[in-house]
Amino acid sequence: MPLTVETYPTLSEAARAFAAARAARFMGGGTILMRAVNEADQSFDTLIRTTDRAMTEIRTTGSAVTLGAGVTMASIAASRDTAFLAPVARLIGGPQVRAAATVAGNLFAAAPYGDLTAALMALGATAEMTDGRRQSIDDLIRGGPTRSLVAAVHVPVPQGGLHFRKVSRIKPKGVSVLSVAAVLPRQGGRIENARIVFNGMGARPVRAEAAERALNGQALGASAIAAAAAHAAEGLSPRDDAIATAWYRREVAGVHLRRLLEDIR
Amino acid sequence: MPLEFRKEYFADERDDDLNEIGKPTQRQDMVGHVTGRSPFYDDHLFDGLCHIRCTRSPHHHAKIRRIDTSAAERMPGVRRIITGKDVPNNLNTLLSLLDFGLDDEPLLATEKVCYKGDPVAAVVADTERQAREAAAAVRVDYEVLPHVLDVEEAIKPGAPSISKPYPGNLFVYHGKYDHQKLRFGDVEAGFREADHVIEGRYQMSPIEQAPIETCGAIAAPETNDRFVCYTSTQALFFSLGTAAKLLDISSARLHFIGGTVGGGFGGKVDSLHEPMAILGTILTGRPCKYMFDRAEEMQVGAPRGAERWYITDGVMNDGRLVARKLVGYFDAGAYTRLSSYAIIKGVGHLPGPYTIPNVYSDVYCVFTNRTPATAMRGFGVTGVDFAIESHMDVCAREIGLDPVAYRIINSYRDGDMKAHRRVAKNTALIECCQVAAEKAGVKLSPSLLAASSLKDGGGVRGEIPNYTATDQHGRVEGYSSGSYAQGGQSREPVETGRAAPPRPGHETPRAPAPAARTEPASQTPAAARRDPPPPPATPRPPEPAPAPERAAPRRGPRFSSISGLRRR
Repeated sequence: MPLTVETYPTLSEAARAFAAARAARFMGGGTILMRAVNEADQSFDTLIRTTDRAMTEIRTTGSAVTLGAGVTMASIAASRDTAFLAPVARLIGGPQVRAAATVAGNLFAAAPYGDLTAALMALGATAEMTDGRRQSIDDLIRGGPTRSLVAAVHVPVPQGGLHFRKVSRIKPKGVSVLSVAAVLPRQGGRIENARIVFNGMGARPVRAEAAERALNGQALGASAIAAAAAHAAEGLSPRDDAIATAWYRREVAGVHLRRLLEDIR
Repeated sequence: MPLEFRKEYFADERDDDLNEIGKPTQRQDMVGHVTGRSPFYDDHLFDGLCHIRCTRSPHHHAKIRRIDTSAAERMPGVRRIITGKDVPNNLNTLLSLLDFGLDDEPLLATEKVCYKGDPVAAVVADTERQAREAAAAVRVDYEVLPHVLDVEEAIKPGAPSISKPYPGNLFVYHGKYDHQKLRFGDVEAGFREADHVIEGRYQMSPIEQAPIETCGAIAAPETNDRFVCYTSTQALFFSLGTAAKLLDISSARLHFIGGTVGGGFGGKVDSLHEPMAILGTILTGRPCKYMFDRAEEMQVGAPRGAERWYITDGVMNDGRLVARKLVGYFDAGAYTRLSSYAIIKGVGHLPGPYTIPNVYSDVYCVFTNRTPATAMRGFGVTGVDFAIESHMDVCAREIGLDPVAYRIINSYRDGDMKAHRRVAKNTALIECCQVAAEKAGVKLSPSLLAASSLKDGGGVRGEIPNYTATDQHGRVEGYSSGSYAQGGQSREPVETGRAAPPRPGHETPRAPAPAARTEPASQTPAAARRDPPPPPATPRPPEPAPAPERAAPRRGPRFSSISGLRRR
């Protein structure tokens, strides 16, 4: 089964080809896919890619930023428009990985990857598909594999900032034991609509809804932080892998959430 | 205190007219490494080079019902599919070259697979991708068998039997025992005498050597019906001998070229890449490369074996260790490789660098359905040292002594008798402890500061105990002790069928009584233990009726023997 590589000048053409070919993978930066190529993964025989320049554009529209699906971590870290996301992008991989890894690639990367996705979920970002649909990142990754491609991601610029914490054994390049992203909008000193997302506490990034409930309507004080930390892992089902056990993750999730919240105070 | 006590303490041991040490001599391979010109095996490329990839077991333990290679054979670029029946002599153990142990590991599994990643078939193809695709297309029909991954579970009655030559999942030492024994004095008497009896359990994990250059070999036909093999091995003649044996070919027909090794650390002692690459070359007439990818290196490359140690120490209130009992379990994985040897080495190291009048040790080489273990940096000694030194700290805390002081009290001195009946010499642990204490700011008493490895040793401390409690525990029948123990005899078991030897009649658990406990524990000694009054100044307890087993210790020429049974 020889491997073929198909390159299209526009994203829409690539999307049509991708929808038509069952044993095809879309290649973004290739940081994960090329490893499968090298190991002769039998599940695909075609690589589809595009040279569409729109893929790598970063545009600011009002209070949101639109990231092309092929925008790399290095571009996010370098762009002034995405300064709020830059600290997250800088925590992903080493320079080589950041120069290749893309926004959309991170959306579909299996655990323990997906740190940027956790941040995008916390920010309430939406994905624009090549068929014109728009859906939230939460729905997109919960929906599983799809035959349509992500064209761009719209990210609202957060009021009060994005807070992010990555926990890894090897610094600075190690993969996440887990990471926490939090956006905590406040009204009159009280948190409203908190969004806390864990990466590494499940197969995909997940909202820590119990912790969010513990914070909503509260001022960010010691008792609220303690309550959020206590409920951090509630309802989540982390997995055992080579980096950490599920038990360990469940034990430390609250600790890291507490530290993140204490840093914000 | 001067750090330079080498001259003082090793005066009769070392030549001080050294021509290299302390001088800025350049390593001979340094220029090649830093200029990128050192040739590694993978740098030797041949026209028409074929690639070998293996189909590996997805199960820990399974019977192979059928291997269907037909679809894979028809795939493009595939030159040959190799299975166990293509291997001329498909059973080996690394140390068979030294006549140590029974052959237990096939190059390619035929009847059953014993660990996840056990190779079942190998594909020789024109490109690596074709080889990988064909390897994925080999269909193997498995009947999954129960597996066991824990050393103590593996030796319980009724545990699945992994290795045919060793049905009890225990390596057989010297044809006699299912473990390696060490007996010195009477450890039970020592415990009765001790003020404290302190137990501990220590568990190590397997460790992958993770060389930057993954294990592999490239073989090619040479003139005069010979084969050349470029390899990453760190033990060229082991590899040569193993390849000659597995392929049933004269070693004169094999031309092995080793040299630069991109990281070894023990993991490249017993890889089976050379015979596979040469076999591919023999069967196809083409140069062949067989190389682990990184995932294989981590999953099936032999790691340092895990060890579990139960240590029970009998300690007096003044800090003297009077008895030490060690029960160790080495996780050999599915096949022997070098674990049996690691144990011999480890037992030679017991009970650590301390003079203890009563020592008892049983160390088991246990087969489990895990990746076979092998050498890694000081194997056989590193793990037990971790256990012993951790336990020393536990004991020191228990009796309220500083750990460094506790070590100095018990360190062996020149002239002391070690538990394996060699006289200690050139010992310098006390001085090391003193320097370490000074550097760490630990205050030592004047008597400990005045202690020296050159004095207070020997005498009673240099004698073999009059009475040593021996036993037949773990005795097995049906094995020939083999030439490694007796010289020139057959290595085969006495029975023709290897499955025939009865299960070693061991009672489980053989660990110290509270083997089931999982945490280091200390015990308040039973009243009986307090009975005997503190012994006289000498740490050696009075012993029952002398029953001398052997003559006084002899000093002879130094030698090295893995069986430990060579006569001086």
